[in-house]
Amino acid sequence: MMILASLPPKDEFLSTMWYLVETYSSFFIRGVVITLLLSVVGTAGGFILSLFLTVLRTQEIDQRRDRLGSRIIKRIGRGFAKTYITVFRGTPMIVQAMIFYYGISPLRLSWWTPLVAGLTVVTLNTTAYIAEVIRSGINGIDKGQMEAARSLGFSRRDAMFLIVFPQAIKHSLPSIANEFIVNLKDTAVLSVIGVFDLFRATSSATSSNFRIVEGFFIAAIIYLILTYITGKVVQKLDVLLEKKEVKANA
Amino acid sequence: MKRVFVVLMLAVSLVVLAACGSDEQFDLENETEFVVGLEAAYAPFNWSTPTDNDFTYPLHAQNGVYVDGYDVVIAQQIADELGLTLVVKAIEWDGLILALLAGEIDMIIAGMSPTAERAETVAFSDEYFRSEQVMVVATDGDYADATSLADFNGARVVAQLGTLQDALIAQLTGATRLEPLDTYGMLATAVSTNAADAFIAELPVAQGMVASNSNLTIIQFTEGNGFVVSDEDVAVAVALRQEDINLLEAVNGVLASISIEQRNAIMQAALNRQPNA
Repeated sequence: MMILASLPPKDEFLSTMWYLVETYSSFFIRGVVITLLLSVVGTAGGFILSLFLTVLRTQEIDQRRDRLGSRIIKRIGRGFAKTYITVFRGTPMIVQAMIFYYGISPLRLSWWTPLVAGLTVVTLNTTAYIAEVIRSGINGIDKGQMEAARSLGFSRRDAMFLIVFPQAIKHSLPSIANEFIVNLKDTAVLSVIGVFDLFRATSSATSSNFRIVEGFFIAAIIYLILTYITGKVVQKLDVLLEKKEVKANA
Repeated sequence: MKRVFVVLMLAVSLVVLAACGSDEQFDLENETEFVVGLEAAYAPFNWSTPTDNDFTYPLHAQNGVYVDGYDVVIAQQIADELGLTLVVKAIEWDGLILALLAGEIDMIIAGMSPTAERAETVAFSDEYFRSEQVMVVATDGDYADATSLADFNGARVVAQLGTLQDALIAQLTGATRLEPLDTYGMLATAVSTNAADAFIAELPVAQGMVASNSNLTIIQFTEGNGFVVSDEDVAVAVALRQEDINLLEAVNGVLASISIEQRNAIMQAALNRQPNA
């Protein structure tokens, strides 16, 4: 075992930070990995689920052609999507984490760990936000496109899936990438149910020396690096999409 | 809007239903492991460390994170005596009782005092450590020379959320009670940064803090000048579900075999393993 450096006196800020990094490097690395995992799974999973939600939500009821059964099913689908979005956007993620984790724990499922609960909550939460993003993407598409498609003989469904959705999703990509950055920071609240993310890793690293300010200064720097890099990537993505658009129009 | 309300109510009732759980006792004959919940942030009772050694125990489902401290040693002794495998989960202080009732853990060994209020929802073992309540203040602050409760007139005093110490602030006449914080690390930081003037802690917890933070100091009260506390308030005990009577008896059997001298030695050793500066 390596010999650990001893804890510096209280007023030595920088050397205390260095001591924490050295002694608890494994905590910080693990915290970063978990925070990234939560953000990646949450955003990717949220994106996929939000597509289903959007499909449910954008169903139009045709009073003349739809039979009673399909009218009811559509209505339920739309109601579900709307309620889902209202509930998940209208409650804090920290509250959702408490309800899900402790609500499902009594079933004693061995796989229901804080991490699994955390991944579930961040995914369900992001789903609601991305669904809103895609909805505004759809609203941004000229109604004339749907009308043109219908007049060319596309069914409403085909026009939606082949013409409206692809454009709406493309326009939404920067905002979806932005959700990823939001998730990097906001998943810190999941430490409340014991997810070992960067926030909890930092709390743990200061659990026997109580140098909280120094510890969270390290966490701030790491968070900043993560969000700065992803911010840059998103910018690149924006530029790339813009270029393609120009090409397509030329 | 109405629909949202209905869905919310459904969700709440589901949670409540689920929380009612089973009434079956912990099966000492057939169970092979028991799950202990602690904060992993209440040194010297329990804290987190990346070091794997004889005193530390790995945290459940968290590779590379270990817990050390007085509680961990006691939990291991209980496990050894009962022939069960120990599983340790780290849970926030104010979530511990909730986790116990939900079946997430089988025992809380986390430096918890068996207060009457908590005893309404959980069962407590016999005590496994006993200490006194002290104040922690800044070495160069206005209260460094305090000797009695009355000296804290005008002080801003803080405590951990949901603790006995938070309730004790009421005994400091003229003191302002600040909004309670989540961990003892935050309490130490609050006093270090002058966000608060003092906090109340159990003696060993205060000792560990002062050892690693020279700017903090302990105010110990002489006999009769300190807080008025009931007997169970100065002790810490293992918390279990009220239906687990067999397990409670077994735990009491193990605790009875650890003498006061042994307890103090285990606590001193835990304090020595905490970093000093």
